[in-house]
Amino acid sequence: MQIRDYLIRRLMILPILLIGVSLIVFTLSRVGGSPVGIYLSHEMTPDEVAEIEERFGLDQPLPMQYLAWAGGVLRGDLGWSGVSVAPVTQVFPDKLAATMELSVAAAIVAVTLGIGLGTFAGARRDRLPDHLTRIFSVSGASMPVFWFGILLLIVFWVYLGWFPTGRSDATVYASIAHPTGLYTVDSLMAGNLAAFWDAIWHLVLPAITLGFGTTAIITRMMRSSLVEELGEDYVEAARAKGLPERLVMKRHARRNALIPTITVIGLSFGFLLQGTVVVEIIFQWPGLGRWLADAVLRGDQATIMAYVLFTSVLFLTVNLVVDIVYAYLDRRVVLGA
Amino acid sequence: MRKSSTSRAMKIVALFSILVLIAACTGGDTSDSTSPGGTEAPGATEAPGGTEAPGDTEPPDDGGQVSNPDVFVHGADDEATTVDPAQVESGEGGETIITQVYERLIEISPEGPDLVPGLAAEVPTDDNGLISEDGLTFTFPIREGVVFHDGTDLTADDVKYSWDRVLTMDLPEGNAGLLADIVASSEVVDDFTFAVTLQRPSASFLNSVVTASVASIVSQDAVEANGGVAAGEVNQFMTANAVGTGPYELTTWNRGENFQLSVFEDYWGEPANVDVRIDIVPDPDVRILGLRAGDYDMIEVDPSLVPDLEGAEGIVIYAGEYLLEPIHIGFNYRFEDGSLPPEDTIGPEFFLDPRIRQAFNYTFNYQAFIDGALGGLGAPIPHYFPQGMLGFSEDYPVYEQDLAMAEQLFRDAGVWDEGFTVSVIAEGGNLFETAALVLRDSMAQLNPAFDIRVLALAEAQFDEAHASDPVPYALWVKNSDPFADPDALMQAYIHPDGEWGEVHGMRDAYQDPDTIASIIEEAGTELDVDTRVALYAELAPMLFEDPMWVIAGNETALNAHRSWVEGFIMNPLWPRPGVKFALFDK
Repeated sequence: MQIRDYLIRRLMILPILLIGVSLIVFTLSRVGGSPVGIYLSHEMTPDEVAEIEERFGLDQPLPMQYLAWAGGVLRGDLGWSGVSVAPVTQVFPDKLAATMELSVAAAIVAVTLGIGLGTFAGARRDRLPDHLTRIFSVSGASMPVFWFGILLLIVFWVYLGWFPTGRSDATVYASIAHPTGLYTVDSLMAGNLAAFWDAIWHLVLPAITLGFGTTAIITRMMRSSLVEELGEDYVEAARAKGLPERLVMKRHARRNALIPTITVIGLSFGFLLQGTVVVEIIFQWPGLGRWLADAVLRGDQATIMAYVLFTSVLFLTVNLVVDIVYAYLDRRVVLGA
Repeated sequence: MRKSSTSRAMKIVALFSILVLIAACTGGDTSDSTSPGGTEAPGATEAPGGTEAPGDTEPPDDGGQVSNPDVFVHGADDEATTVDPAQVESGEGGETIITQVYERLIEISPEGPDLVPGLAAEVPTDDNGLISEDGLTFTFPIREGVVFHDGTDLTADDVKYSWDRVLTMDLPEGNAGLLADIVASSEVVDDFTFAVTLQRPSASFLNSVVTASVASIVSQDAVEANGGVAAGEVNQFMTANAVGTGPYELTTWNRGENFQLSVFEDYWGEPANVDVRIDIVPDPDVRILGLRAGDYDMIEVDPSLVPDLEGAEGIVIYAGEYLLEPIHIGFNYRFEDGSLPPEDTIGPEFFLDPRIRQAFNYTFNYQAFIDGALGGLGAPIPHYFPQGMLGFSEDYPVYEQDLAMAEQLFRDAGVWDEGFTVSVIAEGGNLFETAALVLRDSMAQLNPAFDIRVLALAEAQFDEAHASDPVPYALWVKNSDPFADPDALMQAYIHPDGEWGEVHGMRDAYQDPDTIASIIEEAGTELDVDTRVALYAELAPMLFEDPMWVIAGNETALNAHRSWVEGFIMNPLWPRPGVKFALFDK
């Protein structure tokens, strides 16, 4: 099948998949009861509850409520976020930007530290540095994120006072425009170095916390790949040619060891996104994870639905792109087969 | 080169190891209560009514460095849903903001329940002639020279507009009923005189209505320029913005993150000292760490967090007066057979028997709840008069756990041998759930055949269940609204035909509902304080004999702040968190 035909077919299926996903999530989110609870207080009378239900259309039959929500989506209205006290569409971009910024920072931490430590350990197999690195990576893989985050806060926030919580210094943040919502990018666009350092300063602890687990995985992967590569004949041949060990490592062994590691890095990005829920709560990071957790706990259906819609679109789009890229890269792949 | 790279990596590993070691050493000191750094020790609050006065608890400064000297940072535990006085409900996070940026005609003084002039130049009294002889008309001379945050001048028109706006909008989540239930009409006498005529004489009008958040004065010009007023409709601008006359302006609301309040330079009164930022920090551990780090000057705490702060250098734990929102367990007198959870074995008549209700009251382990869940920072209260409220007396009878008496009552009611199973709902993860668990254990201790099923629900689920009519559960745990006057409390929680009396069917449960109702109504319209107190003294023993609730206990007003906070004062009669930031400095 031609890529164009395949693309059209997939794009036609996309809305059906989204409707299916949204129907399932809409139904499941009602298992615990009506979402009206988020708008209520302990002291509301039944009459007041009825008024609230009428305001948000929750007095309608369930299918009508779903249709109202779906109609709103088509008009670009994702509903009212009870936890944010604002339209979902108004809140979502900022939350997404905050989460993406944190995830990317964590990925940078994980990739640079993971590859570096993995290389360091692999090159010193079964020596003290390798054992210490193993302790480090086992800790990272087994340590609960929330505990590690609190631990960092106790040391670097409470005792040393080096790093803060939150995403920014409120005054500095207010001093620049935020066209992208990515604080680091916006501060550079504004040419405001103070804001840029403020952004980096606030990113350090949550990025390390979020990236720690992934760092450990990448470290282990890189180390074992490198050890394997260092045992290959071509490495021996390079050494026999008289190449310095540094070049053997850099040009030959490490480069090949990176291939499986990069696969793991790609898979780990999803892991980072999942981890944002806990990290954002601990570090007061105003991103999607904290927003979703709050919404789930308080039964804010509009926010949950928006999140699910977003992740569904993202997942389906990424799948589609990956399929197409595969087809381009490997002509043996038959699309639609 | 290689050596250098090795060295860097070793440093990283070493740093991590140090980090783990330091963390391992951090666990123990938080529970050390022997050296509270000069703070008032929690539990120092003595007998009911014997609490230390606010302001008496300031410790000597420990010499710590003041963080962020230009901004006062408060760590709040909850996000606001609105900052519109017409939309906010009592006890909601938005009241924290409204209290700082809006003002009322009269205010509750920092020191106690006394009323002081706010936007009105005088507090109406019989003596100054601002209350009519029939007690129905209150005249408020409006303070001149007051400007709103939008630069417009305050006049009596703004006052009438603000109150009329609340009544027109009449939002279900708001507190319009407070005004609607008592105000017959209002008028602008002249630019600086506002008069209100009541439907009936009211002893609580000034204390409960005029000082309430819902009676805050908003800028007419600002509202009209941003959506105006529509019946039954929320004003989105006012939900997110505040245009009042208070010592602070609301400059930014970063949802889920913080509120930023700036000192209002044109404030008519004593100006505030520093800007304020209110961070939304739901995680209590992070609030505690932030206070210890010095990034927060003050945080909201509950009794369960006190042990984590005791002994921390430079931190003051303030335990002041009692709150006015006791934690109670409600009985359902109005449900149909089969409407309760299937496990429940009781019928609709169960709680109509006063012996059963008395027996529940004698069974509950109050001391365990107060010493355990409240960490000793609380007290039992009589039905239904919190400490500090007009009408409270230490002479009123108070239930204590008496298992022998409870057994006798259950036997007399004929349920001892057969036993029963009944479900109690409570919001999970807080004091309400703990109270439910104490009830369960108390009952099981008394008789293993008494099975209390504790259903811990998410807040939204609990609110929905509790707002059902009839409530589909026989028991629930919550706290009362923080009323400043006993009449509002009695009307809501005790009157057989009151707000909750009607929903829960109290008229059917009371032995003598008409007498109860008439005393409450008489006390509510009686303007002589001594006579009112006498009426409540007559009522209290009746409510003890015929209890509508189990009152688990009343919490002490708690606050934790850095010792560098100057001018700290807390009044539980103010909306949460019971402070006005304009009085503070650092």
